[in-house]
Amino acid sequence: MHRRSALKKTGLLAGAAVAMPTMLSLLQSCENEPRLTWKPEFFTMEEAATIGTLVEMILPRTDTPGALDVKVDVFIDKVISQIYDLEGQQNMRDEISAFNNRCKEKFGTVFVSLDESKRVEVLKAEEKSSGKFNPSIWGTTIGDQEPIGFYRSMKSMAIWAYFTSEEIGERVLSYDPIPRSYEPCKPLSEIGNRWSL
Amino acid sequence: MANFNTDAKKEMVYDAIVIGSGISGGWAAKELCEKGLKTLVLERGRIVQHVKDYPTMNLDPWDTELRGGLTPEQRKKHQVSIRTNWVGTDTAHFWADDEANPYTEVKPFLWLRAHQMGGRSLLWGKQTYRWSDLDFEANSKDGHGVDWPIRYKDIEPWYTYVEKFAGISGEPLGLPQLPDSHFLPPMELNCVEKHVKSRIEKEFDGRHLIIGRCAHLTVPHNGRGQCQYRNRCSRGCPYGAYFSSNSVTLPAAHATGKLTIRPFSIVQSIIYDDTNDKATGVRIIDAETNEDIEYSAKVIFCNASTLSTTQILLNSKSNRFENGFGNDSGELGHNLMDHTYRVGAMGKVEGFDDKYYKGRRPNGIYIPRYWNVDEKTKNDKFLRGFGYQGGGYRGGNAANKENFGADFKESILKPGPWEFFITGFAECLPYHDNQVSLNTDVLDKWGQPTLAIDAEFKENERAANKQIQEDAVEMLQKSGLKDVVGFNNEHPPGYGVHEMGTARMGLDPKTSVLNEFNQVHAAKNVFVTDGACMTSSSCVNPSLTYMAITARAANHAVSELKKMNL
Repeated sequence: MHRRSALKKTGLLAGAAVAMPTMLSLLQSCENEPRLTWKPEFFTMEEAATIGTLVEMILPRTDTPGALDVKVDVFIDKVISQIYDLEGQQNMRDEISAFNNRCKEKFGTVFVSLDESKRVEVLKAEEKSSGKFNPSIWGTTIGDQEPIGFYRSMKSMAIWAYFTSEEIGERVLSYDPIPRSYEPCKPLSEIGNRWSL
Repeated sequence: MANFNTDAKKEMVYDAIVIGSGISGGWAAKELCEKGLKTLVLERGRIVQHVKDYPTMNLDPWDTELRGGLTPEQRKKHQVSIRTNWVGTDTAHFWADDEANPYTEVKPFLWLRAHQMGGRSLLWGKQTYRWSDLDFEANSKDGHGVDWPIRYKDIEPWYTYVEKFAGISGEPLGLPQLPDSHFLPPMELNCVEKHVKSRIEKEFDGRHLIIGRCAHLTVPHNGRGQCQYRNRCSRGCPYGAYFSSNSVTLPAAHATGKLTIRPFSIVQSIIYDDTNDKATGVRIIDAETNEDIEYSAKVIFCNASTLSTTQILLNSKSNRFENGFGNDSGELGHNLMDHTYRVGAMGKVEGFDDKYYKGRRPNGIYIPRYWNVDEKTKNDKFLRGFGYQGGGYRGGNAANKENFGADFKESILKPGPWEFFITGFAECLPYHDNQVSLNTDVLDKWGQPTLAIDAEFKENERAANKQIQEDAVEMLQKSGLKDVVGFNNEHPPGYGVHEMGTARMGLDPKTSVLNEFNQVHAAKNVFVTDGACMTSSSCVNPSLTYMAITARAANHAVSELKKMNL
C-alpha cells in the first residue's frame, strides 16, 4: 500500500498542512508546565510528557503517522496502569526519573525542556548504553539476557504499541487477516511493508 | 452445530464412561459411540462448542483493550501456564485456573492444563509423527524401563485409521525411523528453508529437512475446511482446519446419538467391586455444586491427561487396591517422562531480502532423528535420539537497531532480516524415581488431595542436549548462515507438554500397570489410553500415537464386551 494513500485513509493528513506543531509546543504551555490533551491513568503529567516526547522522537510523524498520531503514549500509560504489577509500576517511575536525572547531569534540565539537538544527543547516548534484546523462539528468550534498561524497553514498547494500533496495523503495514493460502516466496515488491499480523 | 446431550443419568448403567475429552478422550468417545455403546464423557470443565465458543477467533490486536496483555489478576490465575509466555488474552480462557488447581513441585515441573471440553486438543502444537520399532524396541534393547507389549505392526493399521479421519498433511520420506503417514498434501517450505534443506542434505549424509507433518488440513476433508493460514489456531479454528476433539471426534460421537457429555464433572475416583474384580463406575464431584455423584458403566476409559489420569488412579483406593487403582506393581505414578527442547541454534540468512511470504503457515520444518538409528549412526555419548523442529521467517528485533527518528521508522515498516532456527526434541528415558504421588497436605478447591511431582532430566538427556546444540550450530554454519548462535535454555520437565508414563503398559503385571490393550492388569474393564500409558517416550511428538492407541483399545473393548469378557 502507498503510504500517502494510507495516510489519507486515516484522515491524519487533513489539517497537517495547516498546523504541524513541534513537540515542545504540543507538550508545554507558555508557563513551561507540561500540558496534555488526555488524562493518564498512571503517569503524572510530567512523566506522560517525557514518554510522549520520547516515543515521538523514536517514531516521528513523516508521511506516515507518528507515535502520537496513533496514541502510543496513551496506550503505554494504559499498559503500565493495567498490566504492570505494583513493583513494575514503581520501577517504571524510578526509571523515568533516572532518565531525567541523566538529562539534568548532562545538560542541566529534564528531557522535555531540552532543545531538539540536545534531545537527539541524549537518545544517541541511550542507544549506546541500553542493552539489546536476545532473540526469542516460541516465547523463550535464548541465551542469557543482559539487562535491557529503560530506553530500549520503552522503545520496544513503543514499537509494539505502534504496530498494534489500528491505523498502522490495518492501513500502513500489510494487512491480511485471512490469507487463504501460503505463498512461500513472493517478490517483496508485491507485498510492500511487513505483515501486521 | 451439535447441541450436546449433557443430561447424565445416575440410575443408568452406561456401556462406557470416558474420563476426559481431550485428544485421546475424544477418540475413545467417537470409537465407542460409533460401535453402538451408550457413552458418558465426564469433563471437568465447561462445554466448548466448535466455533460458537471461540470468542477470540477473529480478533485483531487492536480489538482488545490491552492488545493481548494480561492483568496481574489474570497472571495470578494462570501463574503456571504464563511461565511459557504462550498465554495472552486471545487464549487465556482455554488455560486452566492454576490457582484453583494447585500442585507441588518437589523439583521444578511445569504442569500445563486445559480444563474444558476438548482440553489441550484446542491448544496443542499439531505436529503428528508415527513412532517406529526403533521406539517400541528401545527399552528392550538398552534395558531402561520395561519392554513395550506392542510393536509397530500392532499399531500400524490404527495409525492409518486415525490419520484418514483426522487429516494429516505431510510429505512421505520412506525413513524407517519415521514411518510415513497416510498424508494429505504437504504445506510448502519457504525459499530460505529450501536453501537450508539443500545444504544440510548435501553436507550431512542421512540427515533430512522436511516440512512438518501436522494435523492441519491442506485440502477440505470429511466436511471440514482447509487451513486459511491465519495461524490463530489456539483460539479455536472456525474452519475446523486443525484436529481438535471439539471440531472432529466429539461431533462424530454426537452424531451417533449415543453420546452424553457431562461438564463440570471432576472424577474423584473409580469404584471397584472386589467380588467381580472389576470397576463398576466412577465417583465425581460436581465442580459447581460440590455434589458427590456416582455413575455406573461396563467399561471405563481414563483419558484425563497423563498426570490427571494417574491422580485419579492413585486416589481410587479400596481394600483390594490400598496404594491406588491397579497398582499391584508399585509402578503407578512412576516413570514420568517429557521431551527436552529449547536447545538448538539460530542464525541469519543472506541473499533472500527481495523475497517474502504471504500467509501465516501454522507449521515449521522437521529434521528426523539421525543418531542411533543403526550400527553406523551409533553415538557413544547418549542413548536414543532427537529430532529438530524449526523454521525460516523474517524477524529481527526492530528495537535493537541503534537508530531512531524518521529513517528508523521507515526502515522498520519493512520486513526484518531472514532468520532460521532449529530446536531439538530429545527422548527422555523412563526413570523409576521420576514420579508423582498424592499430597494430602495440599488440597484443591474441592478438598481433594493434589499431586506432588518429583521429576528431573538426567545425564542422558543432558548429553543429548549437548549433541543437539553442537549439531545445530554445525548444520547452520555449513548452510552458510551468518551470526549463528547456539543456545541451551535447559528447562525442567513439563515445558515440552509431552508428559508421558506413570501408568505404563507392559507384558508383566509385576512391573507394569497396563497390558497390551491398555487394560489395567487387575481390572480388565478399565482402560488407560492417554499419555499415562506410555512405556517410553520416543523423541517425536506423541499425540498421533495416543490417537492410534486409543482407537485400538476402544475397538478391543467393544469386541471384549461382545464376547462377554468384561
